[in-house]
Amino acid sequence: MSLADAVEGKEYIIKDILTDDEELDAFLFSLGCYSGESITVVTKKKKNMTVSIKDARYSIDIQLASAIMI
Amino acid sequence: MRIALAGNPNSGKTTLYNAITGKNEKVGNWAGVTVDKKESPIKKSLYDGREELIAVDLPGAYSMSPFTTEESVTRDYIKNDNPDAIINIVDGTNLSRSLFFTTQLLELGIPMVVALNKSDINEAKDTKIDINKLSEKLGCPVVETVSIEGEGLEEVIAKAVSLKGTSQKAVYLQGDIDLTDKSVVEEADRKRFDFVNKIVKEVETRKVLTKDKNFGDKIDAVLTNKWLGIPIFAGVMFLVFQISQAWLGPLVADALVAGLESFQEWVGTQFSDASPLLYALLVDGVMGGVIAVIGFLPLVMVMYFLIALLEDCGYMSRVAVVLDPIFKKVGLSGKSVIPFVITIGCAVPGIMASRTIRNERERRATAMIAPFMPCGAKVPVIALFAGAFFGGAGWVSAVAYFTGIILIFLSAVLVNKITGNKSKKSYFIIELPDYKVPSFWGAFKSMCSRGWAYIVKAATIILLCNTVVQIMQTFTWSFKETTSADESILASIAGPFAYILVPFVGVLSWQLAAATITGLIAKENVVGTLAVCFVGLENFIDTEELAMMDGAGTDVAGVIAITKAAALAYMMFNLYTPPCFAAIGAMNAEMKSAKWMCGGIGLQLGIGFTVSYLVYTIGTLITDAGSLAIVPAIIGLVAIVIMVAIVAALINNTNKKLKEECALSK
Repeated sequence: MSLADAVEGKEYIIKDILTDDEELDAFLFSLGCYSGESITVVTKKKKNMTVSIKDARYSIDIQLASAIMI
Repeated sequence: MRIALAGNPNSGKTTLYNAITGKNEKVGNWAGVTVDKKESPIKKSLYDGREELIAVDLPGAYSMSPFTTEESVTRDYIKNDNPDAIINIVDGTNLSRSLFFTTQLLELGIPMVVALNKSDINEAKDTKIDINKLSEKLGCPVVETVSIEGEGLEEVIAKAVSLKGTSQKAVYLQGDIDLTDKSVVEEADRKRFDFVNKIVKEVETRKVLTKDKNFGDKIDAVLTNKWLGIPIFAGVMFLVFQISQAWLGPLVADALVAGLESFQEWVGTQFSDASPLLYALLVDGVMGGVIAVIGFLPLVMVMYFLIALLEDCGYMSRVAVVLDPIFKKVGLSGKSVIPFVITIGCAVPGIMASRTIRNERERRATAMIAPFMPCGAKVPVIALFAGAFFGGAGWVSAVAYFTGIILIFLSAVLVNKITGNKSKKSYFIIELPDYKVPSFWGAFKSMCSRGWAYIVKAATIILLCNTVVQIMQTFTWSFKETTSADESILASIAGPFAYILVPFVGVLSWQLAAATITGLIAKENVVGTLAVCFVGLENFIDTEELAMMDGAGTDVAGVIAITKAAALAYMMFNLYTPPCFAAIGAMNAEMKSAKWMCGGIGLQLGIGFTVSYLVYTIGTLITDAGSLAIVPAIIGLVAIVIMVAIVAALINNTNKKLKEECALSK
């Protein structure tokens, strides 16, 4: 399933990033968002969510969340 | 010796840079405040001072492979310009991510010191980092710093100086890999992160885990709430304008204006024996114009102070999140919000801030439409017209900003339609920094440096323009003193442009045209030039009079013989037409395309004209329909119809192209 279906407050392991945008993929990688790493949904809303990757918080939109498979 | 400051975004590089150089570069609590490299000598008091040290502040980057254009500035400088040493600023609260970039920097062989910043936050959260062990693992000195307090700076500099001429040994070597093969690169990067994770595990002990909900998340829940987010933002911005332009600003302005006026009187008595020509040039023209501009300084400074507080507390990223869904609808994203908010202070840094937007079309569109947001230099223009024609009414300023926001949305839609949004999915991701109590001292310093820049501008560019305007309106082409200003050089140059203004001011006035033209050099000039052209005006447009406007207001309205509707329309024309040359230059630098540039200027001219025409024509029809001159109204309408037709043709053309592309791809 994708991060868009994740439950608030639970820690997940990223399985894959589904995007053909290589630069975005590399960027997410440099933040520590890549398969095998953990990610936590801190708060979830309809159009965006706050996630915790390594020791930082990011707000991502639902399109990006749907590209992150967990 | 050149020392480069490099590190992740929002790790505190510019704060450290300001602390060690005494500069006052823009800082803020979000990722991507610095978009260009800056350099300055380091204060001698921080080291022995034997050799000159130059600090180079660079935009933040997460890794050596750039994602947005400002990140490539950093990579290019470090790789090609061979700095003598690097101070790697590491956000101590986020070691696990920061060290990825650190290990990449260590591979370059340039001597390096790690400044472990934000140590105070770690202390508060009871996160412990064993710096000796970290230093040993990284093979370079590590110094704990708190750059906002100025702690640890001397030690960092001393360490960097002591390393001069040495060569840094890499603790992690990527080795010779095929950089063109994506999977190989990723494999190498994974190993690098594994290496980093191992170090972090050994040196860091955390009590508070980042993934757990914290107090900041509770604030987020309110500020980015689905229903409350936008009203809160609107309320905050309203307060900024209200405090600076209605409550506190005018109060301070009163005191200032009294002083300025007595200074003008004093100068007047010094020149009482001089020729009337010189008196008119110096006291009435030049000084009057400058005083008219400086009189508004307090309003602008209070606004700078409040915006600096906003930028420092961490709210900006949240605003981007709140407005992202709305801006997506018009083909932009939440990232465009930050340039728009910065433009409220000044359009030049506002436009430059669009550099953090990765999508090229979005970036260009943002740079193009940001100037619709009235900047600090337009505050005097708004205040002048509000005071002179509308009894100092607060609604004029509110209307000016509100119209600016509407125009931003409207032109975003237009740009979207004309260019055809065929870009692939635009993803939105923004780092949410921890909230912090904004630094009042920092905001005060920022206010003073920007206020000082405003005074310098008034005393140089605006003074010069006023002098030229005064001379040009005093002499004829044969350099004889005119008896009527209508025969002056200025009248003959500005005269032809005055025809453009007729459809929305109702009269042919070369003075108004001249003010609009000088406004392109600096928008404050609109006020300065009007003060020079309509002698005696400066006595009415100081802010003291704004408070007790009734009497003086009608006087100014009498001097500038236009109706209220025309005044509002003329003010809007100056607000929404192309910005000053500096901002146009910034637009050009960010767009990097002659086509976009021409389109941008055309759009701004067209929108400025259309808005002013509508305001004047509808306003006149409502208030005094009989006074509307038919011929200019029809000419204006025809001009607008032609512009609409051009835009429609462009959109039609784009749609056709998009359809063809769709057909081809099927």
